[in-house]
Amino acid sequence: MSKKEIRKVLVANRGEIALRVIRACHELGIRTVAVHSSIDEHALHTRFADEAVCIGPGPATQSYLNIPNILAAAELSGADAIHPGYGFLSERADFAEIVGRCGMTFIGPGAQHMRVMGDKIEARACAVRAGVPILPGTGLLADGEEALEEATRIGFPVILKASAGGGGRGMKIVRDPAKLIQTLETAQAEAEASFGCGDMYMERYIDSPRHVEIQVVADRHGGVVHLLERECSIQRRHQKVVEEAPCSVLSESVRKAMCEAAVGLCKAIDYYSLGTVEFLLDGDQFYFMEMNTRVQVEHCVTEMITGVDLVQEQIRLAMGGRLDHLDRHHAARGHSIECRINAEDPVTFGPRPGTITALHFPGGFGVRIDSHVYQGYKVSPYYDSMLAKVIVHAADRDRAIRRMRRTLGECVIEGISTNLPLHRWLFKQEAFVSGKYDTHFLEASMDPEAVLREVDPYT
Amino acid sequence: MPADLPGNPGLPDLRYIRELARVAKNYDLGEVEIESGDHRILIRRGGQGGAPVVVAAAAAPAPAPAKLEPAPAPAVVAEVEADYITSPFVGTFYRSSTPESPSFVEVGGTVQVGQTLCIVEAMKLFNELEAEFPCVIEEVLVENAQPVEYGARLFKVRKL
Repeated sequence: MSKKEIRKVLVANRGEIALRVIRACHELGIRTVAVHSSIDEHALHTRFADEAVCIGPGPATQSYLNIPNILAAAELSGADAIHPGYGFLSERADFAEIVGRCGMTFIGPGAQHMRVMGDKIEARACAVRAGVPILPGTGLLADGEEALEEATRIGFPVILKASAGGGGRGMKIVRDPAKLIQTLETAQAEAEASFGCGDMYMERYIDSPRHVEIQVVADRHGGVVHLLERECSIQRRHQKVVEEAPCSVLSESVRKAMCEAAVGLCKAIDYYSLGTVEFLLDGDQFYFMEMNTRVQVEHCVTEMITGVDLVQEQIRLAMGGRLDHLDRHHAARGHSIECRINAEDPVTFGPRPGTITALHFPGGFGVRIDSHVYQGYKVSPYYDSMLAKVIVHAADRDRAIRRMRRTLGECVIEGISTNLPLHRWLFKQEAFVSGKYDTHFLEASMDPEAVLREVDPYT
Repeated sequence: MPADLPGNPGLPDLRYIRELARVAKNYDLGEVEIESGDHRILIRRGGQGGAPVVVAAAAAPAPAPAKLEPAPAPAVVAEVEADYITSPFVGTFYRSSTPESPSFVEVGGTVQVGQTLCIVEAMKLFNELEAEFPCVIEEVLVENAQPVEYGARLFKVRKL
């Protein structure tokens, strides 16, 4: 792979990640093109970028997922590379391929990597070949009878997963053997409707797991390095709400084994660009869950503890650069926590679009805010409800928790409902503070009344 | 900064006003006032469910709204009758199929449903834009071979 200079990047995304990419480009001296829907005409990414092109109406299928209009915008503006951000087209192998065929650089891995990791059954097979531990499970399930046979072998409870799913979507837990066949049929129909593919497989279900993932960075010359782990067990509806680095319960030997497994998996498929290998942690055992072939929402906590600007490195590697200065052992410097502030009901988690009438973001030592909203910003029902990522960095976890409490107290968002009260409540919980929790903690332990008392903590 | 694209920046979007009037009527609102960018639009519905009254004014300096009495309709002028055909694609606007060919449409010409108006080219793909309603072309708002984004106004037309 020869060096391929990037001078102008089209950012095929919106919201905070579009700003994140634009900022990285400008620091690298690269010009930027924003694309936007007609609803996002006044969004910050259209102002921060050097140019902006409207690519369609509000619904994402006609704008942020509209490949012909995005490519036309790239052609018109003379962009030589496209950054997909996360979500939208970021894991669409066909998009990466078309971008390449149009003579532009796709800032991410190859289409082949997206394809293999996007198919969860194939991804499991890859993990096995790379010697990465996986949960006892199956390949593609042919029918209910086979499922029952396999479940008996694996042992209940089991979890049925859609091969085309991922990110917490398309999963069903089965504890009662009598219900397996019917649940499988429902799950197949749902997967067919959601992903256009009803293929299901099965894994043993772990009752009290933690979600720990490894950040990897790889170049196009076979160099792969890990940038430690992130702990993302605070979730609602299988979606992450709080992430931190490092993980407070990982022993040094398990950390080492997990990082080596992630690097091994990348080497086995000749992976390049940024990637995240997600694991379930059950005591001292860890199992491969899936690999995300893009920049993650929570990449910031890794940036805070390693000092590496992941998005700038991703762009540099897309130009054919080598790992160079990244090719070393990365040790955590302090502790970082991120809270995702969403426009949603803090108790029911239902989305709450509307207009932000008053806004004050916190500041001070060790605080980072990645956000695209401003006073008067209209939160549209068309897109993701995330408003801001509030990130803190401190010398250790205890200090980071204190800093986050202070920071959440300073944060004011009026006019719409947000999950700020949920975060304020969470950071007072003994189980969270002591690090004794699993992926079910938030939904199992949430006390709605106590959360609602945090709506306005000063009254 | 957003690319400087055609259209008439001096006037509020008339479809927008029409939409507002519809909202005011559907929800039986007495008054709707919206301020954005250079425009302030006040829609007031008078008396026995009569036609909405539209008053469009430059936003700054904001005139006192109390002065805008609900008067009998004259503020709705001929402009409201005008319509625009906008681009559903991002690409380069061409008035004819080849540089030598005549333009698909000319100012003053009458267009039937399904008739080709122009081409918007992107990645060597020539997307023909067809008329969705019969109309008279009143103005061509984009120069030949200029880039257009989604929603850019290409033609000002009068519906037939």
